[in-house]
Amino acid sequence: MEFSFDWICQYVDPEEEASAVAERLTAAGLAVEGQEVRQGDVIFDVDVTTNRPDCMNHLGLAREVSALTGKTLTSPDTDILEVEQRTADVAEVELQDATGCPRYVARVIRGVEVGPSPEWLVKRLASIGQRSINNIVDISNFVLWELGQPIHAFDLQKLSRAKILVRRAREGERLVTLDGEDRELDPEILVIADAEKAVALAGIMGGLDSEVTESSADILIESAHFDPTRIRLGAGLLGIHTDANHRFERGADPEVCRLAADRVTSLVAEIAGGQVLAGAVDVRNSSLDWQLAGQLDLRRASTFGGVELDGEQAVGWLEGIGFEMEAESAGVWQVGVPSWRYYDMRPDPTRPAGEPQPAVFEADLFEEVLRLHGFDSISSTLPDVGGPDAGSSAGHWRREGVRRHLAICGYTEAVTFSFYDAEAESRFPGIGRQGTPLLLANPISELYTVMQRSLLPGLLEAAEFNLRRGAGSVRLFEIGHLFPGQDCEELEAVALVAGGGMGTAWDRHRDYDLFDLKGAVESLAARFGLELRFRPADLAGFVAGTGAEILAGDSDSAVGYLGQLAHEDAAVPLFAAELRTDLCQPGAVQAVELPSRFPAVEVDLTLTHAESTAWADLADEIEAAAVQDLVEFGLEVRYVGEGVPAGAVNTTLYFLYNAADRSLTQEEVNERHEAVRHRLADRFGWKGST
Amino acid sequence: MSADELTRHQEAFAAEAAEVRDRADWEALRVRWIGRKQGIVRSLLAQLKDVPKEEKRDFGQGVNRLKGTVEARLAELDEELSRTERSLAQEAAAVDVTLPGRHPHLGTLHPVNLVTQHIVDIFIGLGYSVAEGPEVEDDFHNFEALNFPQDHPARDTQDTLFLEDGRLLRTHTSPVQIRTMLKRQPPIRVICPGRVYRHDNDLRHSPMFHQVEGLAVGEGISLGDLKGTLEAFIHRLFSPDTGVRLRPSYFPFTEPSAEVDITCPFCRGDGCQTCSGTGWMEILGAGMVDPRVLENCNIDPSIYSGFAFGLGIDRVAMIRYGIPNIRMLFDNDERLLHQVRI
Repeated sequence: MEFSFDWICQYVDPEEEASAVAERLTAAGLAVEGQEVRQGDVIFDVDVTTNRPDCMNHLGLAREVSALTGKTLTSPDTDILEVEQRTADVAEVELQDATGCPRYVARVIRGVEVGPSPEWLVKRLASIGQRSINNIVDISNFVLWELGQPIHAFDLQKLSRAKILVRRAREGERLVTLDGEDRELDPEILVIADAEKAVALAGIMGGLDSEVTESSADILIESAHFDPTRIRLGAGLLGIHTDANHRFERGADPEVCRLAADRVTSLVAEIAGGQVLAGAVDVRNSSLDWQLAGQLDLRRASTFGGVELDGEQAVGWLEGIGFEMEAESAGVWQVGVPSWRYYDMRPDPTRPAGEPQPAVFEADLFEEVLRLHGFDSISSTLPDVGGPDAGSSAGHWRREGVRRHLAICGYTEAVTFSFYDAEAESRFPGIGRQGTPLLLANPISELYTVMQRSLLPGLLEAAEFNLRRGAGSVRLFEIGHLFPGQDCEELEAVALVAGGGMGTAWDRHRDYDLFDLKGAVESLAARFGLELRFRPADLAGFVAGTGAEILAGDSDSAVGYLGQLAHEDAAVPLFAAELRTDLCQPGAVQAVELPSRFPAVEVDLTLTHAESTAWADLADEIEAAAVQDLVEFGLEVRYVGEGVPAGAVNTTLYFLYNAADRSLTQEEVNERHEAVRHRLADRFGWKGST
Repeated sequence: MSADELTRHQEAFAAEAAEVRDRADWEALRVRWIGRKQGIVRSLLAQLKDVPKEEKRDFGQGVNRLKGTVEARLAELDEELSRTERSLAQEAAAVDVTLPGRHPHLGTLHPVNLVTQHIVDIFIGLGYSVAEGPEVEDDFHNFEALNFPQDHPARDTQDTLFLEDGRLLRTHTSPVQIRTMLKRQPPIRVICPGRVYRHDNDLRHSPMFHQVEGLAVGEGISLGDLKGTLEAFIHRLFSPDTGVRLRPSYFPFTEPSAEVDITCPFCRGDGCQTCSGTGWMEILGAGMVDPRVLENCNIDPSIYSGFAFGLGIDRVAMIRYGIPNIRMLFDNDERLLHQVRI
């Protein structure tokens, strides 16, 4: 928001350069983000935060400058020469919605001469980028930028029965606004009406029919206060943003209405002539209590700030920005909050405007003192709360474990968006899906409309991105939340996508296959002491016959799945897995099993069996045999080809025998091994194709 | 032995030694001259008993000299042969040790998560714990409890992504602070990392990004404590000579609130394009927890105070790794990701 330094100096003489003032304002929370010299003036670009509508005008900024520099603030002049006729005799104001409009001040000036503005006024407005329209409109605009109070001027002749009625719009009521738009209104919208119809959008924009034109002679000045929520609602419904509603939405100063009306009136009389009717029609909702007060204890403020504050200085600062300080005891004051800080400092914003507010939070007062003191000179300390907190969380520990494990396994971590398009939703099985997915009401694009129920669509896209750029292989993983459906808790999962050959012939690498991927998944599970089982399954998005559901422990419900992706366009076959990670819990620490001090004996076994016999069945059979001193067994080679009957396969396994207390003799090993061999041969041995 | 005889033997030995080409020649020479059974030296010594008494002494000395000469020369030849043998063996086993080693294929962690881990480590060191929460939130946790009243313009700054069921994607990780405070009474020190979402999409904004927020609540926690904590944090995250500046600002959930600047990590404060010539870079938002927020979480603001801060992790990752566009973080280009050292 732009402000003129020269204009600010109209109310306070800082006796400092613009840049020094800019620095002071920035240090006090009114960030001057730009300074531009324009025609002998310096224009400040100030980032006024939403809680400080009182500083969205020149007097407000001047007040801050006055408090920061200790220089005197001079309020603008409102001398008016009035005629005998009273405003109340010619105009009537009625607040039908006194919540939406708790105060309305009207003044009337008759016989004005609408025309161009004097040069000083044109220049003032031009300095902050405002265009001159005519003297009446310009004065209204000037006062908005001077006092922060939005003003509207009506052509009194065009108000039916010179009546102002503040009410909600009627169903289907229409109004052509100043910008020429013919708008249909809604009963949520607050309007200014005359005896017949709506003539302005309250606090937002005037109507075209009642606006002041060159032919206007008698004008009615509106200086009112509107409820921020009501204005925000209306402006939102209509999609309008003006300087007026910007201020009302953030909370204007309820007590400035009369002053602003007088200020406009005095300027109109001075610039456009005319006769000022006596007094104003000032209707206010008498139940409103704008009083806000609290207590400032300097000792507590110093503790809160971590800085030794000086009482005299603190009082000077607060009084400088309009707070009323009444000493209660040593270092303790009763503090009255100025009306322009009402909305910012009311302790309970949810309480209706009419109800009295409790005492102001002391932190609000601390904030004022501390920001005017500046944060720079506050010394740095560490909280003295005694003892550490709980440290890492189980979730964080688990995620880090999964991440590091997969990185060691050669997988690169990806991060993809948590939403995808409607098509992606049905591509893969997902985990724990229930009912319909969560849909975004205002997605940023059609590509991001559904909250993910699988990490694979995003991760596969990342894999494709790499392959398209010439990568011969990919290995990616991602950990993220799944959103299984309405009323379902979010689920954390990890997904892997891999494929292609790593490295060159020199590197002796080979093409990645499903069992490389499976090995990564199994080793991850093993890291968390988890044993997985794999059950063949027909999975959406996977090549038939390659998919499997992943089962953990004794449970029969899948915790994940893996397989080869059905993905015809890919340069290399891709394999993928998705697995929930909540199973990966930190298990109880287990003592290690000490290895035998005696040598182990390794024996191979080759079994010819039907191709249809699953490895899991062989493994289960060996486990079931509970062979004495067998410490390990595994797959050595699978062979199909010369010497192996059609429909059969040769599986060579290794067996490692080792006793804890002695060296096994060859006879002992042979005896144990023969028993296994017979057991396997009896159950699975090739008996010719049947 | 006469001097002539000795000289003859020595000359004969020298001539034969000159013919030695390999280990077999050397062995034959050794056996012929100093072999235990029929070596020439041995047989000369055997003749000693027949030598007249008065010549015995000379003869003995002569043989011993010969023996000395033979042994010395044999040792020399042995050393020469060994040298040759070693160099031959070396030649046979030689490899080009400058050939590339075969690297195990290691993965890497995402830059955003590396930075997150770094930040979490720093705060665990300062005595904090990690807290987490859901990414789909309700209005109460994301806004209302944080002192964003309904229909308040402060909500405009949040560009919220809403779900069709009325809930929303959290716009910051602050709801985790609320959930933590609703669960426990002070003292509280937590750090809350996670994904957050906004309705925003351009070179500098991504609809999904990462934040870490910290919260400390206890008796007598001050603005100075916030300042000290942020300095300790920033000095560890960037470097100990990084300048830290707090500027008063506004957030609904803290008061006073501050924008926190650090000296620009690119120009070290001299002013450059990245920091628009100011020498400073805005890096996080912070403040003392608003008493309304404490009350909303059933914590008595007249007893307890606290501070909170929030930081965009993606931005730190971009600064740290020199990544100019936030979207590049989510392209997941392995050529880029593999350069990030764990």
